[in-house]
Amino acid sequence: MTPILELRRATKLYGGQPAIDSVDFDLREGEIHALVGENGAGKSTLTKVMAGVVTLTSGSMLIAGKEVEPRTPLEARNLGIAMVFQENSLVPSMTVAQNLFLGQEKFYNRLRGIYIAAQQFLQSLNFDVAPTATVSTLGAAKKQMVEIARAVLHNAKVIIFDEPTASLTPEEKKYFFDLVRELKRRGVSVIFISHALEEALLISDRITVLRDGRHVVTDDTSTFDRARIVQAMVGRDLSKTLYAERKAKVRPPGERVLTIENLRMLPMVKNNSLSIFAGQVTGIFGLVGSGRTETFKVAAGVLKRDFFHGGEIFLRGKPVRYLTPAPAIRAGIAYVTEDRKVEGFFETMSIARNIYVGLMAKLGARRLFVRPKETEAVGKKWADALKVRAISPDVNVVELSGGNQQKVVIAKSLVQEPDIIVFDEPTRGVDVGAIAEIHELIDRLADEGKAVVMISSYLPEIMAQSDRILVCRQGKVVEEFSAREATEEKIMYAAIH
Amino acid sequence: MIEALRQFGDWILGRGEASITIPIFDGALKPNQLLEAADVVAEFKEASDIAADSEGILVADGSRVVRPGGGERAGFGRPVTALCVLGDGGIAVALDGKELRVKGGAFDGFASKGPANAPFHAANAIAGLGDGRLAVTDGSLQQPVDHWVHDLMGRGGSGRLIVVDPKDGRARELARGLEYAFGACAMNGDILVSESWRHRLVAIGNGRPRPVLTRLPVYPSRVVPASGGGFWLTAFTARTQLVEFVLRENAYRRRMMKEIAPEHWIAPRLRSGESYLEPMQGAHLRTMGVLKPWAPPRSYGLVVRLSAAGQPLYSLHSRVDGINHGVVAAAEFRGALYILAKGPGRLLRLPLADIEKEAAS
Repeated sequence: MTPILELRRATKLYGGQPAIDSVDFDLREGEIHALVGENGAGKSTLTKVMAGVVTLTSGSMLIAGKEVEPRTPLEARNLGIAMVFQENSLVPSMTVAQNLFLGQEKFYNRLRGIYIAAQQFLQSLNFDVAPTATVSTLGAAKKQMVEIARAVLHNAKVIIFDEPTASLTPEEKKYFFDLVRELKRRGVSVIFISHALEEALLISDRITVLRDGRHVVTDDTSTFDRARIVQAMVGRDLSKTLYAERKAKVRPPGERVLTIENLRMLPMVKNNSLSIFAGQVTGIFGLVGSGRTETFKVAAGVLKRDFFHGGEIFLRGKPVRYLTPAPAIRAGIAYVTEDRKVEGFFETMSIARNIYVGLMAKLGARRLFVRPKETEAVGKKWADALKVRAISPDVNVVELSGGNQQKVVIAKSLVQEPDIIVFDEPTRGVDVGAIAEIHELIDRLADEGKAVVMISSYLPEIMAQSDRILVCRQGKVVEEFSAREATEEKIMYAAIH
Repeated sequence: MIEALRQFGDWILGRGEASITIPIFDGALKPNQLLEAADVVAEFKEASDIAADSEGILVADGSRVVRPGGGERAGFGRPVTALCVLGDGGIAVALDGKELRVKGGAFDGFASKGPANAPFHAANAIAGLGDGRLAVTDGSLQQPVDHWVHDLMGRGGSGRLIVVDPKDGRARELARGLEYAFGACAMNGDILVSESWRHRLVAIGNGRPRPVLTRLPVYPSRVVPASGGGFWLTAFTARTQLVEFVLRENAYRRRMMKEIAPEHWIAPRLRSGESYLEPMQGAHLRTMGVLKPWAPPRSYGLVVRLSAAGQPLYSLHSRVDGINHGVVAAAEFRGALYILAKGPGRLLRLPLADIEKEAAS
């Protein structure tokens, strides 16, 4: 049977360096094909070639046996290929309906007609998203739903999902998998990129593993297990070290450095109270919408609490209220965002400049002018320390893989030498190799006596990294577990009930 | 003027002193049921303090100092409000909160009424400082010891730390204006004092009081040294937003104090749940469609193990549904921690090994 989509000896060079190198790939009609590999393995580049975002340097692409060369996403869409990107590609200032029909507008476009059509379509997918809502007001999970809906709306024959489940709750994930199976039943072929290997094993028919831009193996999913995938991905057996079931040693609490009392930022944060201690990793778990991110964004001055009776925040016993992030940074609070593309870095600036921006935020008026040599030195120091892998140190951050972008975002905060570091979903969209490195870094920071907060939706990560676990539900902390007593069941129960 | 404007702004916006926020029990103060699991050694009707000598635990019960198993160590004819075992085998007691008296040891018969210009009024804790001097906390100059809740509701701030030297009989006021001083202990040359209404521990030396542990979610009481370094801090009740609110509503509070019997005030208690007239008995929350019973703690029991630097390491709780509330004193003796829960009048015992094992989990 002719594959619906095929790539032969596909090669893409950036600055003379191959991002993918002679990769052969084929996708059968109506199959779910998982594409896995470390960050920088070439998964995104490979799928961007298929989606017309980039073109091949050499090699060929065939659709139903016919050679094609899509040069724009529109051309790819006309060929029946749609891509749901890892970091969403929606226009934040437009409504959900406008985003759904973007590029399909008619000459006399009727907004009301678009809303009605969008409403019917979203209902048919059973997505609880208001078509009139502005995208910027939606949470990550709902944005993801809009992305998926857009791909389905375009009647694509091939849909590429890049990390589709990263921001979804367990219930939403289950629903997403049902949706993917429904697409398969309709004869749509799905390419599924995920770092959650269990998901790849659960949903896919075949798995392809890439490493360092090269094809390693393609086989039926039934022949794989987690260990085999990981070994193929990294060339070494990481399965025993990554996400250990429980910490062997729990760090005792040090000084209480941050106290949040009865914090309110309605409707997300409702009377939330918690303490953060030095020398510990405090894991914060909660479903999307539980107010965990907003609580720490208020503490870091990114968001403002309610004006009336908004609660109190104490830094080392002294009341503080930061209206912007700058004074919080100077006081030693760093917040590493969950949405690195929007809030984490300047994508058209180099690695060094991005890191230097972090330092300038700390120094404020003491550093009025950019010093090129200092920029270079600071950038190199932190890029080396965090093992940021790039073709050249001058590349723009947008050209880095997700894991390396995340390291730049972390370096941008660590250069500020904070005492309290809040990592919000630090390993979302990050490959297993980089996950291990980021986890080592988190451990090291706690060992150095820093107060580390790690917000994560991924229970194995929370269980493996935290000395203390706080569970958020409906805008407040509802339960606290020590690492020794916590189980996935207990945490999830507290998060839901 | 500026301060008045700031206070008015705080009152309007609900910030600062008017924010009515209280810390939660988390970290080392994470709730458990360890105090409820303790053995009940004995029950007393009027117990106010405990201490340990070489033979065992002593309990100040009414006007006597007794052993839990029976047997009177000393009788004083007036209520004993504080008890301390001295290094030379004698005991020091506070009588009716107004007099310090030593019985036995090198200074047998010594008595002091405090500084001549401002004698003791509500002496509630005594601690030996190691050099023969005694530190005495005087909770209030306005209210007697038994009327501690009146002092709280009256926003009292007249507590003092007084050091008495039995050698020359001098009594020196080391600090004043404390918001109910209730417990003292020697700490690296300073004196660690618990200030109940400000929910904190302060170190008092020659200079101004230095905060050691602040923003506690409870009303701290006595603090005693622990074996292996550090301290045991007891707390007799927990803070609630309702009480904090009442404390800020002056007109309401004054009327409540004037018209309602003290046992029915919206105020902390050493024990609760005995009368249907009590406020704050219970409520419910609807969560995820399920009705869940809930009650703010009117009384509570807590013992906190502190490090040598005064930071909490772990804690023992008797929660809102427990009995062993109103914890006012603790003492170690032969590998066990003895705790006085004044609410039910119980002397409790917990083996230290069990506590440490439970705390480590």
